[in-house]
Amino acid sequence: MKYTKELVSTLIIILITFLLAAVLIIVAKYDPGMALQSFFYGIFGSLHGFAEIMVRATPLILAGLGVSVAFSTGFFNIGAEGQLYMGAIAITFVGVFLPPMPPMLHIAVAILAGFLLGGIWAVIPGFLKAKYGVSEIITTIMFNYIAINIVGILVRTVLKNTESALPYSPVMPKSLSFPLLLYPTRLHGGLILALACAVLIYIIMKKTTIGYELRVVGFNKRAGTCSGISVYKNIVLASLISGGLAGLAGVSEIAGVHHRLLEGISPGYGYIAIIVALMGRNHPMGVIISAIGLSALQVGANSMQRQAGIPTSITSVLMGVIVLLALGKNIMFSGILKKMRIK
Amino acid sequence: MPNLQLKDIFKEFPGVIANDNVSLTVEKGEIHALLGENGAGKTTLMNILYGIYTKDVGTIIWKDEEVSFKSPRDAIESGIGMVHQHFMLVPTLSVAQNITLGIKDKGYPFNNRKKVVKDITELSKKYGLQVDPTQLISKLSVGARQRVEILKSLYRNAELLILDEPTAVLTPQETDNFFEILKKLKKEGHSVIIITHRIPEVIKITDKVTILKDGKNVATVKTSETNENELSNYMIGRSLKTFSSREEVIESEDNGLVLEHVGLNKKLKTLTDISFQVKKGEIFGIAGVDGNGQKELAEVIAGIRKPDSGTILIAGKNMNRASFKTRKKAGLAYITDDRHHEGLVLDMNVTENMILKDYDQEPFSKKSIINYNVVREKTEQRIKDYDIKTPGVKTPIRLLSGGNQQKVIIARELAVGPSVVLACQPTRGLDIGATEFVRQILINKRNEGLSILLISADLEEIVSICDRIAVIFEGRIVGIVKNGADLDLNKIGLMMAGHIGETVNS
Repeated sequence: MKYTKELVSTLIIILITFLLAAVLIIVAKYDPGMALQSFFYGIFGSLHGFAEIMVRATPLILAGLGVSVAFSTGFFNIGAEGQLYMGAIAITFVGVFLPPMPPMLHIAVAILAGFLLGGIWAVIPGFLKAKYGVSEIITTIMFNYIAINIVGILVRTVLKNTESALPYSPVMPKSLSFPLLLYPTRLHGGLILALACAVLIYIIMKKTTIGYELRVVGFNKRAGTCSGISVYKNIVLASLISGGLAGLAGVSEIAGVHHRLLEGISPGYGYIAIIVALMGRNHPMGVIISAIGLSALQVGANSMQRQAGIPTSITSVLMGVIVLLALGKNIMFSGILKKMRIK
Repeated sequence: MPNLQLKDIFKEFPGVIANDNVSLTVEKGEIHALLGENGAGKTTLMNILYGIYTKDVGTIIWKDEEVSFKSPRDAIESGIGMVHQHFMLVPTLSVAQNITLGIKDKGYPFNNRKKVVKDITELSKKYGLQVDPTQLISKLSVGARQRVEILKSLYRNAELLILDEPTAVLTPQETDNFFEILKKLKKEGHSVIIITHRIPEVIKITDKVTILKDGKNVATVKTSETNENELSNYMIGRSLKTFSSREEVIESEDNGLVLEHVGLNKKLKTLTDISFQVKKGEIFGIAGVDGNGQKELAEVIAGIRKPDSGTILIAGKNMNRASFKTRKKAGLAYITDDRHHEGLVLDMNVTENMILKDYDQEPFSKKSIINYNVVREKTEQRIKDYDIKTPGVKTPIRLLSGGNQQKVIIARELAVGPSVVLACQPTRGLDIGATEFVRQILINKRNEGLSILLISADLEEIVSICDRIAVIFEGRIVGIVKNGADLDLNKIGLMMAGHIGETVNS
């Protein structure tokens, strides 16, 4: 019952999104048939399309998981973007400044560093909220700007590749690259890291006392306090895990895609991750599905732009609409659902 | 000619039939009680009338016209007002602002504030509803807030008032005042429906009673032609239970819980110099009008607040600096007065709520991994032991009735073998069946030799089950008396009003 309801409302959302896309395309005087064809060709037409979806989904899954853990604990982390960049900075420092190491150890150190630096970037707002009640929505957003500009400074100073005039870091050593999974596509080992994290987060949130405490604090802080569960500790912990996972998304982007630090490595993954968590209902499986769905939307839109000349900005419009529909679906569709059940 | 007629109302929620062909007729100028235990379908029926729920089948006739309100707004426009059990007021706005909230009068949005205040003052004088229209809601007592809610409906020209459990949160004095208001409303030709499970009030104030049980009509009787026992039989299928025949106390000199000169917040004098001992095998009652420091006292004992001075001993151990968890390990069980916000996590299910206090203890979890098989088994066992009515162990606790939610809390708190039970308003908002159940459990636990501290604003409850009674007034214990046949209720009443009484410590 519950699942059919979810399924039907998801289908309604997809339907509305497609209708709206068609309207926008017609209004902008493009050919909707051609658009549709190129959209689906981009997604299902080749192995490359599939791999590209997964490459984009990888940071979305990681950052989306992070956001979902924070949301479950009542910590509205809007700062995954900044935390992602801190993770990217961490792996670059490991690559540039630490001595050479065996590949497995090297990547493990980088992952740990990325998790920690991303985590610290979220723990500061977490601490401010838990201790002084400062709104994390403001602080985490502000921390995004700080992180992005720190990257700008670093790639021009400490981490700059001295052999080039451009603001890049040197290329990372081979031992700091994720293996390619599906040569010649870009699909890399970051996906496995992301899926493993999803399983781990599922176990932590649903099966352990740690996750139990986090969820109690998320649902009802007062009941937590009255049961001897520290709200302070759990908000700080949630922000650490949340920022850490977003940091891993940054590590994965460097180790799997860019192989060096530069500005603008994330096309807003940290923000889309918020949509991913909302649509995925803070459930790891939901996060994976919505991350793949949203990246498919983007890959399809890119193909639409290449083949039919339709601007990709249309996806931004659609994503906004999807968020509204996903958040309001219980109210908006209850009438439709009721009718369907009676008939 | 009846003013309001509900005919054969049928309403089904997934898995539950809340109203099974229920009918109700209310005349003009009549005070009508809708009597029944929690979960009998009273509130559902009124929510259907008020437009919050839609009925599946049935007719509603209001002033000779068939109506079907789509929202409370429709109901209000037709002259029906409802005061919910949990008040719907904005604490940061003034009384007048709350009363006019949502009304677009002439001149909106630049209302004539002075005229509004004048109108409200006149209205409040007419019905004896004393409030200051310029006062902030957050500064008002519960009784005054209720008066604001009633004024809110009257200001919108309500001819029929629905009051959901109106006396549940009132002190005895406020209740008397409330009854006076009802009489005035009746005199002015308003009809009133009171949703309640308190039989004495029904007898005292109403003209007619309709009794619901399990979503069905049981009977409709004139109040003048019935009595408490008959109503109780209709409502719960048996007569009321009395606890007067308690077994004699097993005298013990050991103290389970000791407070010595406990003080909290010296400036505001929230608690001042509180000292008492609760012996093993004793129910020690704290009586007093709500808001005299009871809640703070409970939280100081539970370790949620830290006292500024004094000593708290649980089972002989000093607990001054101890956390809630340490106190729990020392044998303390805490039944809070605020189920929804403090005792339960409403968004979690029965199983998850059952382990809220000992999720980190064996056998529920080992090395941080929760063993949900064990948790489910234990939950099923406790559901059986405490006769908790729930569709399943995975049902969201939100969907359970108040009585069953309280049973979950009590099962959870008492199952782990505590030695001291701290019960703060444990029967507040519960129906008679559940109230009796809770009191009986406290008595059973006393007979097993536990120390029980019962904090309650319900004097009747204190007198019926406590061995010794302390009265709290403005954060001080003004007297401790032994309960018995020679108990002078008058004296306790005086102490509740702040007169210093005697202290018996034996």
